[in-house]
Amino acid sequence: MEGGLGESTSVPPPQSPSCSGNGANDAGDFECNICFELAQDPIVTLCGHLFCWPCLYRWLHHHSHSQECPVCKALVEEEKLVPLYGRGKTQSDPRSKSYPGIDIPHRPSGQRPETAPLPDANQFANYGFGFMGGFVPMATARIGNFTLATAFGGLIPSLFNIQFHGFPDATVYGTTSGFPYGFHSFHGGHAHGFPQPSSRGQQADNVLKNLLLVIGVFVILALLCW
Amino acid sequence: MTSSSAPSRKALSKIACNRLQKEMVEWQVNPPAGFKHKVTDNLQRWVIEVSGAPGTLYANEIYQLQVDFPEHYPMEAPQVIFLPPAPLHPHIYSNGHICLDILYDSWSPAMTVSSVCISILSMLSSSTVKQRPADNDRYVKNCRNGRSPKETRWWFHDDKV
Ligand SMILES: [Zn+2]
Ligand SMILES: [Zn+2]
Repeated sequence: MEGGLGESTSVPPPQSPSCSGNGANDAGDFECNICFELAQDPIVTLCGHLFCWPCLYRWLHHHSHSQECPVCKALVEEEKLVPLYGRGKTQSDPRSKSYPGIDIPHRPSGQRPETAPLPDANQFANYGFGFMGGFVPMATARIGNFTLATAFGGLIPSLFNIQFHGFPDATVYGTTSGFPYGFHSFHGGHAHGFPQPSSRGQQADNVLKNLLLVIGVFVILALLCW
Repeated sequence: MTSSSAPSRKALSKIACNRLQKEMVEWQVNPPAGFKHKVTDNLQRWVIEVSGAPGTLYANEIYQLQVDFPEHYPMEAPQVIFLPPAPLHPHIYSNGHICLDILYDSWSPAMTVSSVCISILSMLSSSTVKQRPADNDRYVKNCRNGRSPKETRWWFHDDKV
């Protein structure tokens, strides 16, 4: 229901006549409960009611007698408001100008809990270290600063391969995360123990190379014919 | 209301204007039962016809509400009065002023003309006796100079009627 209405009291054709109240029902979920526009600098109270920050601020500080939610009268504490950050928009707010004479401070910012820990990091690290024993120092030395567990697990087979076959191309065999294979091959010492995902990757690589070759030939032919 | 609820003839702010247009559209799509908006081109003053609900003391009676919007609507409540003759009701004065908390201290900007109308109709419907408020004459005399009900210091009788 944003925009749309001109200055005159023109009446848009009633959308589905059965729809109640909210002209555009989808957008209605995101309309400010004070100005009825799409909420700008949206903010949500703990009771779940959505407002433009300037609208709510103005109500709480200049008009209401008590700090209560305009919709449900629940107590509103400013430090417990939750801003909504959608995609794209910056925080500049043209609307605050349309409340002339009132300085509207910046919208309260979100309270960000600390970054979530990587789900399995410790588990893998411990598992890996215990399992691999004496190979670890060598592995870390070769890998350099790849310290993430997933990369670690993934690179084991490649190191293994490098050791036994001298393949310099770590990416082909390594990063396709086949640590079960990796660990096994370490212990078993199969010289030809390629992780399966890797060989599939290699096939794909070959197909790609062939494709490029064909395209190249076509280009050369085309050039010659011109 | 902390800011002056002064002469409601100050033009509507842009926000008030936008919001009233939305309310008008909503009203036309879905008017509250028992009410009819008398169309004018004045967005700032609505005149609304109320029909007493069937089965109540006011059944088959028709009254008119006049709703004036202040510059900073909906931050400030609209002024709502009955045009004469006002219904005989323990909370409605003979000059049309209505003693109803949501029109004054309990106003909230999330309310709408429509929700106010519904409250007024329910106030009418729950009445058990057709009479004026006890202090009617005194109050009306005090308002002779054209005082708005919004400037009255209301205390609200009770929640029942
Ligand atoms: Zn708003
Ligand atoms: Zn609420």
